[in-house]
Amino acid sequence: MLRDITIGQYYNIKSIIHSLDPRVKLMGTLVFLMSLFLSGNIFGYILATFALTIVIKKSKVPFKFMIRGLKSLIFLLLLSVIFNIFLTPGRVIWKFYFLQITIEGIKISFMMALRLVYLVIGSSILTLTTTPNELTSGIEKGLGFMKKFNVPIAEIAMMMSISLRFIPILIEETDRIMKAQIARGANFDEGNLFQKAKAMIPLLVPLFIQAFRRANDLAEAMESRFYNSSVERTKLHPLIYSNNDKKSYCFMFIFLLCMIATHFIKI
Amino acid sequence: MSIQIKNLYFRYNKELPLAIDNISFDINDGDFISIIGETGSGKSTLVQHLNGLLKATSEDSKILVDNENIYNKDYSITKLRYKVGLVFQYPEYQLFETDVLKDVMYGALNKGLKEDEAREEAKKALSLVGISEELYDSSPFDLSGGEKRRVSLAGILVMSPKYLVLDEPAAGLDPLGRKQIFNILHNLNNNGTTIILVSHSMQDVVTYSNRVIVLKNGKKHKDATPKEIFLNEKEMKEIGLSLPDQIKILNILKEKGFNVKTNLFSLDDVKREIEKCLEI
Repeated sequence: MLRDITIGQYYNIKSIIHSLDPRVKLMGTLVFLMSLFLSGNIFGYILATFALTIVIKKSKVPFKFMIRGLKSLIFLLLLSVIFNIFLTPGRVIWKFYFLQITIEGIKISFMMALRLVYLVIGSSILTLTTTPNELTSGIEKGLGFMKKFNVPIAEIAMMMSISLRFIPILIEETDRIMKAQIARGANFDEGNLFQKAKAMIPLLVPLFIQAFRRANDLAEAMESRFYNSSVERTKLHPLIYSNNDKKSYCFMFIFLLCMIATHFIKI
Repeated sequence: MSIQIKNLYFRYNKELPLAIDNISFDINDGDFISIIGETGSGKSTLVQHLNGLLKATSEDSKILVDNENIYNKDYSITKLRYKVGLVFQYPEYQLFETDVLKDVMYGALNKGLKEDEAREEAKKALSLVGISEELYDSSPFDLSGGEKRRVSLAGILVMSPKYLVLDEPAAGLDPLGRKQIFNILHNLNNNGTTIILVSHSMQDVVTYSNRVIVLKNGKKHKDATPKEIFLNEKEMKEIGLSLPDQIKILNILKEKGFNVKTNLFSLDDVKREIEKCLEI
């Protein structure tokens, strides 16, 4: 039932992109997402497509995994396309009562759709090539400078990795409880919204109780091992920039400059 | 009237091997059947088919409950859930209500009983599992482990199922709690409920069941009486199961040269046999 849901959709394969420092990949994703908003014309999209293709090829992750994340976005995509197509003022090429399609509308809706798709694919590459744990340590190290401003980065990173660890456990637990309640005649699918919400109580109460119990157990286990968050912890795999990482930063910088440049190209 | 399983096939997904590989057998009314086998042999998967939680992945598979195929399009799976009660492993996590009585009533209310009828049924179910009236108003989360287990069991019994399926009902309980659970099952069986038990405890299997089904790699390996199964020590080892303790002791005594019978099961008989050795 719920077993099919995957969060942290890491695709296990060896590639240059996989082996990059998570900080590089985080920064790269950020740069890519920002650049999509920086540039609004056709040249920007050509450049972004070019860069994205290179990264996808290098990551060795099959393309169908990249677009898997788009499935949940189809509704949003359609909505944005429909609104943009029909509601953009400009040169009218087709008219039906109050509905009208303009050349500008087609252009904008196409650009918007492409932008959304690229956003999803861009962030998918990050999660497909980086394990949740790498991601967390990347955030911890990358934002390490925030410690100077009394932001508890180490604690936040610890909380993140524990939460990530708990997600599959909770999914499995939900599945178990659901089955047990179905065996007692529970019905999660039928009825109106109010009845459906009420039917969730037998599922949510045990789930919360179990989650609290687990959290308690874990806290006790950590405490009995003298866990202390103020102590500097060493890492099994410390994050050190390699040559590839440095090259990637250069690639990113050049890409960003080019994207900014496309902004000034006038057709 | 009984449950007939015919050519059951099931796999969790395409990439995995068959979890249930062509299993067929009949469960007769009044049976106390034990299903045994190593971890991963398909026991829990098999029993989840009996109340429709899992559905066979082959068109040829059939499960007839009281002569009706549960895979027929017009068969009501909801009704099946009240006919075949399923108690999961560690059923305590199904508890959610504010007091014990309300929690047990949940199943009866789902079945469509009125509030006061459901309350009567719940009281009956609770007395069946030996939970006293003083506990009716307490929170199910304040009970002891054994009490929680029995309240969860009552939560299924309240639907008055004709067939009761249990997955390791005594796992994690102390010896007293274990005995209480099995006494309840024994009484239910005497009063006409058919029991299907999944267990790792050969002790319980041999003491209570009249039929044993051994699963191995998703296939039905053997279907026989406990005596036939446990007297063959070699085969038991092949399947990866241990013998019940009393038989182990008798076997050891025999090896050491004592003149004992090794085909005894009831604890009293075994006790007498051991006493005989001590007298010599």
